[in-house]
Amino acid sequence: MSIIADENTRVVVMGGVAGVNAAKRMAEFCYLSHLPYNVTAFVYPPDAGKTAEIPFGSQFLAVPIYAKLKEATDNHPETNTALVYIGANRAYQGSLEALENEKINFVSMITEGVPEKDAKLLIKHAKRLGKVLNGPSSIGVLSAGKCRLGVIGGEYNNLKLSKLYRPGSFGVITKSGGLSNEIMWLVSQFADGVTTTIGVGGDAYPVTDFVTYLDLFEKDPDTKAVVIVGEMGGNLEEAAAVWYEAKPRRIKLIGIASGFCQEHLPKGMKFGHAGAKEGMHGEGSARAKSERLKKAGAIVPPTFGDLGPTIRKVYEDLKATGQIKAVKDIPAAELPELPRKVEEVISAGDVVVQPLFKTTISDDRGDEPLYCGYPASDLIEKGYDITHIIGLLWNKKLVSDKEAEVIKRILMLAADHGPCVSGAFATILAACAGIGLSQSVAAGLIMIGPRFGGAVTDAAKYFRFGLRNYPNDIPGFLAHMKKEVGPVPGIGHRVKSLKNPDKRVEVLKKTVRDLALRTPTLDYALAVEAITTTKKDNLILNVDGCMACVLVDLGFPEESLNGFFILARTIGMIGHWTDQKREGGKLIRLYNYLVNFAVPRRKEVPDRK
Amino acid sequence: MAKVLEGPGMELFNKWGIRTPRHVVISTADQIDSLVHSNQWMRESKMVVKAHEALGGRFKLGLVKVDLDINQVKSAAKEMLGRDVQGLAISQVIISEMIPHNEEYYLAVKSVREGAEILMAKFGGVEVEANWEKVKRTFVEVGEKPGQEQLEKLAKEAGFTGEHVEKMRKFAERLFECYDNEDGSYMEINPLAINPADGKLCALDAVILLDGDARFRHPDWNFSFASEFGRAYTDNERTIMEIDSRIKGSVKLIEIPGGAVALLPAGGGASVFYSDAVIAMGGTLANYAEYSGDPPAWAVEALTDKVCSLPGIKHIIVGGAIANFTDVKATFTGIIAGFRKAKNDGKLKGVKIWVRRGGPNEAVGLEYMRKLADEGFDIHVYDRYTPLTDIAKYALQGEGK
Repeated sequence: MSIIADENTRVVVMGGVAGVNAAKRMAEFCYLSHLPYNVTAFVYPPDAGKTAEIPFGSQFLAVPIYAKLKEATDNHPETNTALVYIGANRAYQGSLEALENEKINFVSMITEGVPEKDAKLLIKHAKRLGKVLNGPSSIGVLSAGKCRLGVIGGEYNNLKLSKLYRPGSFGVITKSGGLSNEIMWLVSQFADGVTTTIGVGGDAYPVTDFVTYLDLFEKDPDTKAVVIVGEMGGNLEEAAAVWYEAKPRRIKLIGIASGFCQEHLPKGMKFGHAGAKEGMHGEGSARAKSERLKKAGAIVPPTFGDLGPTIRKVYEDLKATGQIKAVKDIPAAELPELPRKVEEVISAGDVVVQPLFKTTISDDRGDEPLYCGYPASDLIEKGYDITHIIGLLWNKKLVSDKEAEVIKRILMLAADHGPCVSGAFATILAACAGIGLSQSVAAGLIMIGPRFGGAVTDAAKYFRFGLRNYPNDIPGFLAHMKKEVGPVPGIGHRVKSLKNPDKRVEVLKKTVRDLALRTPTLDYALAVEAITTTKKDNLILNVDGCMACVLVDLGFPEESLNGFFILARTIGMIGHWTDQKREGGKLIRLYNYLVNFAVPRRKEVPDRK
Repeated sequence: MAKVLEGPGMELFNKWGIRTPRHVVISTADQIDSLVHSNQWMRESKMVVKAHEALGGRFKLGLVKVDLDINQVKSAAKEMLGRDVQGLAISQVIISEMIPHNEEYYLAVKSVREGAEILMAKFGGVEVEANWEKVKRTFVEVGEKPGQEQLEKLAKEAGFTGEHVEKMRKFAERLFECYDNEDGSYMEINPLAINPADGKLCALDAVILLDGDARFRHPDWNFSFASEFGRAYTDNERTIMEIDSRIKGSVKLIEIPGGAVALLPAGGGASVFYSDAVIAMGGTLANYAEYSGDPPAWAVEALTDKVCSLPGIKHIIVGGAIANFTDVKATFTGIIAGFRKAKNDGKLKGVKIWVRRGGPNEAVGLEYMRKLADEGFDIHVYDRYTPLTDIAKYALQGEGK
């Protein structure tokens, strides 16, 4: 047997993330002990109607979340226990709701930092309703092999090491969450393990005192001895002593209290637990508690270090008198392992997984992104700028300062081209229709293609073709293009001509000349221009063509080149969208007179045949 | 529990209709001149000057001066401000109106498990401690208020007669209201006296302990809490308190001058057993400290730094039980970073470090600690198979494996 929690305990968890985390720990315990999962529902209004995903072995259970406790207990009438993980400012209301729910007969309050007045009011309500409310600041309750409420018991490996998957003969009551695991470990090492362990919480006024649980342990035939771990302050230990000596008790009581150091420390010093405070007039010291427990007939080891041997002695005595029969342990190999996460298995080198795809340029698995292996912050600290990042991510090369300067100027020259071109116009149209930034810019980017800004890649491709196959025969190249392709991409402009040159092209050409860069493709394209302009003076090398040649001469792959136009023009498109928003641009509808309505005039609709 | 100094304590009293002497709190003597200008009572009354710090035994230390005129107030304030007491400088003094009185009374409200007790005595000052059994008390259940007859009975039992019974009843009602509405843990007025100027009861002192956990429902608590152990907090303690207030989990530190064993244990329960173990072995504690609730590594690192900086320490005890959910590896990473920093800063010379812990990621965390030996740390690492507090024994008896 056990007290408070057993295999029939069914739990509703009240509260958000911390509650779900505890519910996951509870699932681990159920899995280890071959028990069905004991959490029926969550109460967490912000997520009401959803389900929480709880790993159970290699399965995932979906546990429903409700807005109100009553909905949870109506839908899951087997629920008999509530765990309160609600924040300190609302924990009182939540716990009261749980106490007042007729299906719930045990409530454990995990919340820390609950005001004392709230705790004291809850003591009153629990008494009035005749129910047990454990906590606040409780680590939980664990009945070995039967039920875990909360995170008590710690990680999976500790559950196994402390043999919590099967009952023993010792009850444990502690105020400290950390020590509850320690005592269960001791009891499993020096004796046969625990029946039930209760963490009552370290607050000044725990709702339920030691005596409530001692009474229950006394009635549980499987519990032969109880270890209580107390501390200075309050009078829970004294009350336990009074209870123990009141009449002959079946259970052996082992008691220990901390705080002897108080005699050597500054007066009034506050310890880790709120409850561990000095009594107003000397009562509640560790020494007084220990003496009182001893006087009541409890076994009190002189120090914490002696607790283990003391437990062993009690266990051996109980065995010798036949009150405890040896428990058969389950060999470690027969205990289920918690399935490992795929990341753990991979890092242990136990499996190979075929990757979905491959990347060769960036990696953000560490503390910051690496661009082709270079940490972004190092690049910044060493004075590199955005042009170098473009070089790394598009061409996997750290470009030189000269090359970086060319890239920078190309981006500046191509950043915008006024509102009337297809890309900017589409962005403006979308902005005026109330579409968001990314969608509006995407609308503009969609316009980039063979007729708008998209000649860069093709220009590069054909000028390089010419340079390779017709190095000294430009008429031959032009003849090939005319026969096989059509107009030469990168040559020709609607308004610019020899007499009216494109300033942007002039600047770009000057840049590469001034920097004395080697530009074979650009040189070839200019030789082509020299021929085409003799035929018609607007068949000049346009800005797309010039960019294309310069960029392939810098070594950028052809397929990346439209990217320079996309990247640069995005700057302008964002500007146009922002501009329309700021100016409250109104919805655009095309004027009728800008459309030639070449449709049949209005006529009668014939009857259906 | 959290202590409130006299100045803000009296403001809380005033809020609930409890009379207190007129008073001002100053941090430089220069403030007095402008205060005299706007406070007529400072020109007309005799005054009391007290160091406004959480110090025990202020009277004996010469930090309380009574029956002063304004010039004496100025020189007393000048003398007290900045004075070094137990290694701490006095930063504020409170100047209050001197209330001449013949009789002193005692009134207090104290939190108990089922509610509160109201304590009353027809004597005050040092006589209260000496005659504790003569102090009368009455119980009020949580969620209830004291009844009129109940308080009258208490006042009569305490020895009050005539109109004093009614005065004490009303005053006790107000103190209880203050206690109840302000989430008090303990409120004490000693002495309570009749002000001859108006014949009304006046609280000449205010000992107020509030429930710090209830801060969320008191947006008007604009004061910071004072220490409860007879001295002001040190800078290091304040730093750790400030970190504690803004992290998940907790870090705690109290310094104890002159100790040789520094504590850096995990958990509010285990840390006290470690303190006990050090004392039981005849050691002296250099501090009380504790971290728990899976605090972030940087917070544990900050705590480690303060612990390593304690003067004259010979041992550091990094103890802990088997954690439920505090990640041993993560918190140890913080401690290790703190150790490395301390060593680089020339600290930890001749200091032995003793480690015992269990919990999530215990194997990795303990291994990281063990590896510190390669960096020249004098470190001794034990796992869950070593009983919890045995490292205190090893440290003080040199019984290490």
